[in-house]
Amino acid sequence: MRRGYLIPMIAVLGFAFLYAPIASLVVFSFNENRLVTVWSGFSTRWYAALFNDSQIVDAAFLSLQIAAVSASIATVLGTLAGVALARLGRFRGKTALTGMASAPLVMPDVITGLSLLLLFVSMEALIGWPAGRGFTTITIAHSTFCMAYVTVVIRARLSDMDNSLDEAAMDLGATPLRVFFDITLPIISPALVSGWLLAFTLSLDDLVISSFVSGPGASTLPMVIFSKIRLGVSPDVNALATIIIGIVAIGVIAATMIGMRRPQKT
Amino acid sequence: MKKPQIAADTRPWRDPDAVPFVRIRNVTKTFGDVYAVDDVSLDIYKGELFCLLGGSGSGKSTLLRMLAGFETITKGTIEIDGQDMAQVPSYQRPVNMMFQSYALFPHMTVEANIAYGLKREGLPKGEIAERVAELLKLVRLESFGRRKPHQLSGGQRQRVALARSLARRPKLLLLDEPLGALDKKLREDTQYELVKIQEQLGVTFIVVTHDQEEAMTLSTRIGVMNDGKIAQIGEPQEIYEFPNSRFVAGFVGSVNIFEGVVTEDEDDHIRIDASAEAGCDIYVSHGVDCAPEQILWYAIRPEKMVLSRERPEGDANIVHGLVQDVAYLGDMSVFRILLDSGKRIHVSQTNVSRYDPEGISWDEKVYISWEADAGAVLTS
Repeated sequence: MRRGYLIPMIAVLGFAFLYAPIASLVVFSFNENRLVTVWSGFSTRWYAALFNDSQIVDAAFLSLQIAAVSASIATVLGTLAGVALARLGRFRGKTALTGMASAPLVMPDVITGLSLLLLFVSMEALIGWPAGRGFTTITIAHSTFCMAYVTVVIRARLSDMDNSLDEAAMDLGATPLRVFFDITLPIISPALVSGWLLAFTLSLDDLVISSFVSGPGASTLPMVIFSKIRLGVSPDVNALATIIIGIVAIGVIAATMIGMRRPQKT
Repeated sequence: MKKPQIAADTRPWRDPDAVPFVRIRNVTKTFGDVYAVDDVSLDIYKGELFCLLGGSGSGKSTLLRMLAGFETITKGTIEIDGQDMAQVPSYQRPVNMMFQSYALFPHMTVEANIAYGLKREGLPKGEIAERVAELLKLVRLESFGRRKPHQLSGGQRQRVALARSLARRPKLLLLDEPLGALDKKLREDTQYELVKIQEQLGVTFIVVTHDQEEAMTLSTRIGVMNDGKIAQIGEPQEIYEFPNSRFVAGFVGSVNIFEGVVTEDEDDHIRIDASAEAGCDIYVSHGVDCAPEQILWYAIRPEKMVLSRERPEGDANIVHGLVQDVAYLGDMSVFRILLDSGKRIHVSQTNVSRYDPEGISWDEKVYISWEADAGAVLTS
């Protein structure tokens, strides 16, 4: 079959549509001009300006901390839920748990954020914890919705896994707890990593829920960027975006390389 | 039924005083409304290589999984070495299992896989290493210890799985379709190896298989399962030559079955009128527990029948038909014959000479006859 030019052209257009905005953002982050859209020479001044802006740096660190902690909590809880749903067979309330574990996936962020805010406010009134809103409340909120994503990832991996591996370990004298740590966890470890990364990204990315449950002095990176943009696009945001893109790219490449070294089949 | 007399100590199931090693008593397993295993009772003796033979859905795997402790028993009891297994979890049973998928741990080396069960026993390191080396030698994989399962061929994985399941020196080894994933040539070699290892170690084996040839080659006794029930238990020869039902006769080997009515019922012989299906009388040279006018079935194996162009002597056990097809299999040829009655039968003949220009071939009219004790009379 002779290949025409149509398919490559569509492909180029598609990739251009996806990546041209990102490329222009990276290019303009090195723009010397204060006006984002006017190119007047190469410069790294906006990167310097970025690191001198303590508001952005603080927000970035806060976001990273929240993302790391909530991704870890979500991974632990999500793994337990995924194992329960994929491995325990039938138990009372399984259907309800399945539905409830995946409900946050389809729940609008506004609803999640609002309901969590109401929960935190009334808990503070009742038992005095969490006192005020900030790091703790954002972390709890992020763990909650990230857990749903981790559950889905873990469950999918477990349903691919040969059930008889667990049985074989049990048959060789391992108690169910040992089986979990010796066999199940190592085998699903790629899913744990991707679940954690997914949760980390989702947490880092979240604006709506954070806005609901954060308090004074606890602004995450997306919140700071969003408030800055409202005053007009400033070039240092471009610089910040470029750094984030760089980190993500490195992360994705590393994950792919690790994934390629592993045997494909279990 | 005549059986050769062999010392009871090699065939404990013939000794009424022998104590069974595995005692399965009225075991039933239901999944919802479905009876996977239905009131099965079975005794298995020490050192046996017992095959559970059956099609898919016959309950053989479920029975094996109950022995291993992966399924609970709905009703009945299982005793292994005199101990009731009801309350014993799978990780405390004196039983190991070799899985159909082998279930090798993909993230561990061959050595670590074999050592896993020994580590759970808490053996000292040196002894574990020693035992692993011994087992690798047993399955002839000495130089493969450091490999991961995905770096092995199917046959090597099978041997690792066997070594791992033998590591804890179980009193009873359960094997679920142990040769199912191997190709034909490898399977035949492995069959003999398995039997050799079993005899060498004196472990009791229970093998689940759907392959009747495999069951015949491996086992001391076979339990044929159908629909969750045991259809027949016996030595391979008993199952093949003296099946107790049409199901067993048809499941193990190929068979021709004629339906007929008893016309003479004497102590030393019976005569069956099978004119509808065979077009002749069938004479059986031994007494059968039946009544005149009773409908029963006569099962005869293809290799017990003789083909001839001339009509043989006698007034029974002779049918006539047309050779429709000859399948040449090398060691023997299978003739597909359309009888005058309209029934199709199979007759096989050993190819004793390399080339026989006079041999019976396609589209020939032939007589098929057999000895008076060549077939089995079945009442169900």
